[in-house]
Amino acid sequence: MSQYEELTTTMTDQQYLVEALTEMGYRPEVQTAGIALRGYGGVNWNRPVQVTIPREQLRGALAPVGFGRDETGVFQAVIDDLDRKCSGLDESWLGRVAQAYKERQTMAVAKTKGYVFRGREIVQTPQGPKVQLRFAVR
Amino acid sequence: MQEKLITVEIDENGNSSIDLEGFHGQGCGDVAKDFRGGDSVIQSSKKREYYAQTAAVKHSQRQS
Repeated sequence: MSQYEELTTTMTDQQYLVEALTEMGYRPEVQTAGIALRGYGGVNWNRPVQVTIPREQLRGALAPVGFGRDETGVFQAVIDDLDRKCSGLDESWLGRVAQAYKERQTMAVAKTKGYVFRGREIVQTPQGPKVQLRFAVR
Repeated sequence: MQEKLITVEIDENGNSSIDLEGFHGQGCGDVAKDFRGGDSVIQSSKKREYYAQTAAVKHSQRQS
């Protein structure tokens, strides 16, 4: 029997989260008021989640993935434990979400503050790809 | 005048670091603050340019 588990993130902005998931090829659904997640075999997660990726979009997954705000406003990921172990929806996957989120956030901040975008580079490292964003002062 | 460049590096877990080139003194802090947003600083190190400018300011203060 599987069950939902909550994984900690530091993401707080719903727009960047949705954009990050979209960039990764998903079509996330947003329910501002939050909904309960219904997973494999009738398993439920009753704390509301505001952003969900339907199961059909997660190759081989048993259950949808959700992101729900905690009491401090930070999004926590809600993932079925079997999907975490067997479908690649693990900490590395969540790291890639956080990386895409941070890139979106950085680009938005740079634009707002008037920095000039000078380029993006992917640097391969043994731990995984790093994103390098370069800006100049106007 | 040397162009002021900012490189933001985001690792595979979404942790970011900022590298600044061509900045002197306290200007670094303002840029770092812009890009940091609500994130907390885990490690901060200053380059030689920072101390060169700070030393020059102290020297001129002593002279005046």
